[in-house]
Amino acid sequence: MSAAASIAAMAAIEKSPGYWSGVLTRLRRDPVAMVALAVVLALILMAIFAPWVAPNDPYRSSMIRRLRPIGTPGFPLGTDELGRDMLSRLIYGARLSLLMGVMPVIIAFFVGSAIGITAGFVGGRVNTVLMRTIDVFFAFPSVLLAIALSGALGAGIFNGLLSLTVVFIPPIARIAESVTTGVRKIEYVEAARASGASGFTIVRVHVLGNVIGPIFVYATSLISVSLILASGLSFLGLGVKPPEPEWGLMLNTLRNAIYVQPWVAALPGVMIFITSVSFNLLSDGLRSAMDLKA
Amino acid sequence: MLVYLLKRITHALPVAFGVSVVCFLLVHIAPGDPLTSVLPPDASAQLQAEMRRIYGFDRPLPVQYGLWAMKALQGDLGTSIATGRPVATELGKAIGNTLMLAVLATLIGFILGSLFGFVAGYFRGSWIDKLASFISIIGVSVPHYWLGMVLVIIFSVQLNWLPATGAGPGGSDAWRWDWAHIRHLILPAVTMSVIPMGIVARTVRALVADILSQEFVSGLRAKGLLDFGVFRHVVKNAAPTALAVMGLQLGYLLGGSILIETVFSWPGTGFLLGQAIFQRDLPLLQGTILVLALFFVTLNMIVDIVQAMLDPRVQRA
Amino acid sequence: MSAAQGMSAAPGGSLAAGPLLSVHGLTKHFPIRSGLLGRGSVVVRAVDGISFDVTEGETLGIVGESGCGKSTTARLLVDLITPDSGEIRLANRRLGADMTVRDLRRDVQMVFQDSYASLNPRLTMEDAIAFGPMINGMAERQATNLAHDLLSRVGLEPRRFAGRYPHELSGGQRQRVNIARALAFSPKVVILDEAVSALDKSVEAQVLNLLSDLKSELGLTYIFISHDLNVVRYMSDRVMVMYLGEVAEIGPVDSLYSNPAHPYTRALLAAMPSMDPDRRTEEAPLSGDPPNPINPPSGCRFHTRCAHAAPVCSSAIPNLSRLRAERHLAGCHMLVPGSGHPEAAAEARP
Repeated sequence: MSAAASIAAMAAIEKSPGYWSGVLTRLRRDPVAMVALAVVLALILMAIFAPWVAPNDPYRSSMIRRLRPIGTPGFPLGTDELGRDMLSRLIYGARLSLLMGVMPVIIAFFVGSAIGITAGFVGGRVNTVLMRTIDVFFAFPSVLLAIALSGALGAGIFNGLLSLTVVFIPPIARIAESVTTGVRKIEYVEAARASGASGFTIVRVHVLGNVIGPIFVYATSLISVSLILASGLSFLGLGVKPPEPEWGLMLNTLRNAIYVQPWVAALPGVMIFITSVSFNLLSDGLRSAMDLKA
Repeated sequence: MLVYLLKRITHALPVAFGVSVVCFLLVHIAPGDPLTSVLPPDASAQLQAEMRRIYGFDRPLPVQYGLWAMKALQGDLGTSIATGRPVATELGKAIGNTLMLAVLATLIGFILGSLFGFVAGYFRGSWIDKLASFISIIGVSVPHYWLGMVLVIIFSVQLNWLPATGAGPGGSDAWRWDWAHIRHLILPAVTMSVIPMGIVARTVRALVADILSQEFVSGLRAKGLLDFGVFRHVVKNAAPTALAVMGLQLGYLLGGSILIETVFSWPGTGFLLGQAIFQRDLPLLQGTILVLALFFVTLNMIVDIVQAMLDPRVQRA
Repeated sequence: MSAAQGMSAAPGGSLAAGPLLSVHGLTKHFPIRSGLLGRGSVVVRAVDGISFDVTEGETLGIVGESGCGKSTTARLLVDLITPDSGEIRLANRRLGADMTVRDLRRDVQMVFQDSYASLNPRLTMEDAIAFGPMINGMAERQATNLAHDLLSRVGLEPRRFAGRYPHELSGGQRQRVNIARALAFSPKVVILDEAVSALDKSVEAQVLNLLSDLKSELGLTYIFISHDLNVVRYMSDRVMVMYLGEVAEIGPVDSLYSNPAHPYTRALLAAMPSMDPDRRTEEAPLSGDPPNPINPPSGCRFHTRCAHAAPVCSSAIPNLSRLRAERHLAGCHMLVPGSGHPEAAAEARP
């Protein structure tokens, strides 16, 4: 009787919407964030489907049609210093630019969270050792650290990704540590310990769910910085190497063209700007949607 | 206060040590042998070994670090592979230029940012607030090297008002405070100021809104006392944090000036770094980064100490 | 059949001769980071060598001002803080010897003061209650059923409350959930650390009644910690008064409230709001804050605030001495004949 009764009871239980579904509802009501999300999704789709979207081969150069202006028939956004189609290169450029901008933050999100949560939850000497090491990397301005590392490692996509990942681990680890240290002192964690749960179980059930939100929002706010930095590395001749289409590298190779076709030369920066603003606005929207007190 | 001072300094020392270790290791994470860039590709094995011994690369790493750090403490940062001149000499010429640019940019950014932030925080929720928030989002999202290019396109290429590159007429690197030189400073400084402006505006807006929402201030406002007293109160309470943000931003600009200096060929530390990367001049890269990073560590420390002097609450935190 | 019944009833009394929970010399000092390198040797004497017993089925109240070590004692009892020294025995098994921390925590559960902070904001009420049994090996389905049973037991209809999150409940409802969570282990002892202090008076009364009902239904033993002497009197069988990490007085509730022996207890009771105009003591209410537990006063720790302080009080530490009523002890030189205190009897007489 009790089994049947409890099944009936369970079926009738009024379930409140969970935290994340509430965040999504609030995010959906934020028009600015929704526009930003649409732009970000469009850019991602553009990167994935570049071969179908781009009108021309982004690598095919031509000495006779170099640096055509915007509005040239067949080349709506003109051509670059080697006569390659700007529109196609901008579309293809989304692939490497997004990869170089977003990937380091994703990896740093996992590594930094792991370091920070460990340091915050274990505390004591482990915390001191981990966080003092993090402090050293935090003592470099992010641009300087990225340039130092990729300058020493040399150009290349992998070296660029590695340098940027190292740059973003310390700030994420710091946030993760401070949020976790805060949560660790709250009574529900004590109550879980008093129930005999292991440290790992407590982190999984009680800590992770309460710290991952703030860390995630912080990480999303770094994507815009990362995009600008990644393109900046390529702009300096680090990171992506020619002839690959990447927005920062395109800005670099078009620098001398500003006297001939200034607005064509400025186009790759427009793409970086749009992407970075969209990620920033999306991150801001997420931040306010996640504030429970709002 | 003295205890706080000593505490802050003892906190900075291990960080500075760590920073120096990271800088030292930069040369060693580089692929290949640091000697390959100075030696001809067909150098004999004997010459290679000889050079390795002279440069000390045959010793264990901690010993190498010790020797390197001892020299660095005495101001010897090694020799640039590309120019053959001491790194310290190269840096000495460049650092003044970068400092000038960064200080000016910070000042512009701080003044404009405080103004935007103050107005936005004071009229919170109004269209002015939304405009200021929009500008500050733009400020933190814009790739500043690209902004520099756009400004060059507008003011140098199209209007021909200001020079596009360099720090003086005819590529001279002796700075003077005359119009011929100051013209060169305007575009890079304005470009650079966009970064601190956005961040200062955000900070000041939040501070002002917070202070104005305190009960006694809203009481004063309710009575219609929107006078100088309220203004002074807001400035007094917002100043320490805003100044701290400004100090930190100066540090970031000093370290992050490389992109803007590259765009404008401004002969500062960033330009030096750009050259070091281009020519794979590792001693120059290492020395420049060490000096800039230690500068940043020191500046952070000074900002904390000044903030603690202005606001006793910080000391207890 | 009848013989078996008789058997089980009679020896039960003799087996329960020992206390259910017994604490001896429990001590916890917290080191404080001080000085330039954070290597100071300064300690807070949060709990300093306390001993007491709790008999099965009784409620021991613990009172004292904030900072006296009540909450530290509670956390020491479930090993949320590991004691520096001292022993804890549960049903004659010693923690660390023939009982693990896990065993202890199954049998001794705790309810905290802050009902909101005690519940993970991301877990529904049924998940919060089922968590403990599940990590102790119960199947999810069974644990959820148990959670529903416990919810109805603490007066919350499962259908309405099982799927809710903490912020959707009132303080009293949340504290009921916290009680249900503690009960999910079928514990022998429940420590209630200021568990009703944050509630409104009317809600507090309801929760206190619930606690009384649960105690008699489930045969629980309570350690009831509060700064509210009225509530402690209502709930407790015996009361322990703590001052700066030490036991000042411990005794049966009636004896302690009607004949307080320690000047500190008298001062606390004098400060207590009472409806009864006849219930007055001559003791002056306490003034000022307790001294710093980093550097507690020498001798009797209370002497800096005691109206009866004499030279002996600052030089010698008073032992707990037996009073006339059974199991009533207090640590004051005035109670010890020949202690040297002018208000004590001159010499011990046979």
